[in-house]
Amino acid sequence: MTEGALAFHRRIDAALADAGLRAALALTTARLAGGRAGAFGALPDAEPSRDAARRARAAAVARLDTHLEQFERAVTAHGGSVHWAETAADARRIVTTIARERGIRLAVKSKSMATEEVELNAALEQAGVRVVETDLGEFVVQLGDDRPSHIITPIIHRSRQDVAALFREKLGATPEEVADIPAMTAFARRTLRTEFLQAGMGISGVNLAVADTGSICIVTNEGNGRLTTSVPRVHVALMGLERIVATAADLTAVLRVLARSATGQVSSVYTNIVTGPRRRGSVAAEGDADGPDELHIVILDNGRSRMLGSDLAEILYCVRCGACLNVCPVYRAIGGHAYGGVYPGPVGSVVMPGLHGVDAWAELAQASSLCGACRDACPVKIDLPRLLLAVRQQAAARRLSPLWLRAALPLYAAVATRPRVYRWAGRAAARLAALVQHDGWIRRLPGPLAAWTDSRDFPVPAARSFLEAHLARKGGAR
Amino acid sequence: MTSPRDRILGSIRDSLLRAQLPAEHHGPAAGPEIPVATPATEALAAQFSAALTALAGHVHRASGAAGAADIIVGIARENRAAAFISWDEAAIECPGLLAALAARGLSRVTYDVSSDAGRRLSEVDALAGIGLGITGAHAALAENGGLVLVSGPGRGRLPSILPPVHVAVVAERRLRPSLADLVREEPRLLAGGSNVVIVAGPSRTADIEMTLTHGVHGPKHLHVVLMA
Repeated sequence: MTEGALAFHRRIDAALADAGLRAALALTTARLAGGRAGAFGALPDAEPSRDAARRARAAAVARLDTHLEQFERAVTAHGGSVHWAETAADARRIVTTIARERGIRLAVKSKSMATEEVELNAALEQAGVRVVETDLGEFVVQLGDDRPSHIITPIIHRSRQDVAALFREKLGATPEEVADIPAMTAFARRTLRTEFLQAGMGISGVNLAVADTGSICIVTNEGNGRLTTSVPRVHVALMGLERIVATAADLTAVLRVLARSATGQVSSVYTNIVTGPRRRGSVAAEGDADGPDELHIVILDNGRSRMLGSDLAEILYCVRCGACLNVCPVYRAIGGHAYGGVYPGPVGSVVMPGLHGVDAWAELAQASSLCGACRDACPVKIDLPRLLLAVRQQAAARRLSPLWLRAALPLYAAVATRPRVYRWAGRAAARLAALVQHDGWIRRLPGPLAAWTDSRDFPVPAARSFLEAHLARKGGAR
Repeated sequence: MTSPRDRILGSIRDSLLRAQLPAEHHGPAAGPEIPVATPATEALAAQFSAALTALAGHVHRASGAAGAADIIVGIARENRAAAFISWDEAAIECPGLLAALAARGLSRVTYDVSSDAGRRLSEVDALAGIGLGITGAHAALAENGGLVLVSGPGRGRLPSILPPVHVAVVAERRLRPSLADLVREEPRLLAGGSNVVIVAGPSRTADIEMTLTHGVHGPKHLHVVLMA
């Protein structure tokens, strides 16, 4: 086993041993998956809607270069600036430079997976900029020096008691201020409102950009996305370069399935669309009375353009709704932290090796039974099982699989392609199985095969194979 | 020397030459729904009210500035708001509303946030204690109980996001079945201001133990006054 795979197994063991986490995972994923099923069940044109959203994403990715150029022109025409970041380090440098040149001391952030991916907060803090996460869940993550465990609901691994303890310890909250969840929410509102009013910069992600208008769309339920993009003087948005659609009509096609897939809502509370900075008229009365004076959009590559040329390209259609996490039997058992990367679940098992190379992340794709629940839940019908197999194929091609497996597979192929040998081997295996079985189950295999039975029980194979039974019946009927 | 921009675009073009993307059925990329005859205003109003009420928003019906002002003053009293920030009267489409509110003792605070970093902070800070925000809306969407707010002259962003209570005064003729319908009707609308927001209900979160709580950052209370 590789180092990475060993570490993955250790994280899985730790997650499975955490009873509180397992209960929280069961509750949250069932609620979110149920919400999604209900929302699509109530939609008379659910399948055509998913197809339309997929077409919008596929069309955008197939002409990504021209769409990004068009987007850049439109943003610039509206008075915004576009920056291009090839790597995570470039993105960090671009944003910290914008902050430093303007003397920014405090930045407020709305939830963004891309900023997690490039580890922006640490870089800004190092540059002397205090960064405050304003999504309630992300705020708790930041206070606890923790990591999000779900794309949409980042603190499903935290109980209300955990949050109360953090608010008391880190923010000096009184017992009344953490008495229940509404009280804690009100406390967070008061605490964070002060930060919003004093921040010189707002940092957001981008759910989707629109090529022909130069707009970016940021959806939130809390309203922190609106405050982040409206109150501070400077707005910086970090977007993965694939997060684009051609037109406003395509945006609405994706929005129609996005919130339904993420939380089961018809729409999020705030669908916030930003096109350029605050507009200025020739006299004050003809301009906007509020809004940021500067808008900077940072387009992030960080491995995406390379992934576009690989057999994982379809994952670039993803709109990060988290639906595949909620239905995945593996995610539902181990949660987000066990995956070890920024993006967990089925999507993360493709994105992490896709962005950062199969050498360090291939083992994630093994943690799947290929049951296809993720594909069925995906709002843009990404064939995730196919992509997980593609990751496994890449890993096999790079000889990352264990030696015994690499030795055993050609042997299996040699047997399976010779019918006579195959039948003989089947009979022999059935007899051997009868020797190691216990109550009709095989719970432990000897030697290198033990790795397999560590996590699986097999039913004992029938004494007579299907082929033998079939031939016998045919003979009897004659 | 090439720029990062050119290198990224070059890498995308290289990749697109060998990208293994699934074959797609390239129909028209726009939404799946076929435009149907627009339902009657009353049907849309009923659907809008049901959707917004389900999201913990409140819908009122009124005609004329006096009727709307009475409702708004009641809401202000309930929430102990003495002053409000708002859109300009022309943008609210309810002639006489601001005068009617003033006559009832509710005063408007006007603002124009400075571009100077220091002055800006104190100006926004001065608005922080205002208890009520009043806006109109470009459209109201029956499908999700959503309000479409387009920023522009006299139509600021802050009245709908900063105060704890937001009241939108909306003419019934601005009801539309869905966002897709609206965008079909006005393809450039979503870029029609520096900020276009669709607001569906009061601010909410379920981040702690999946427990629904309102008013975490945006308004805790959302009222819509539908004007006949």
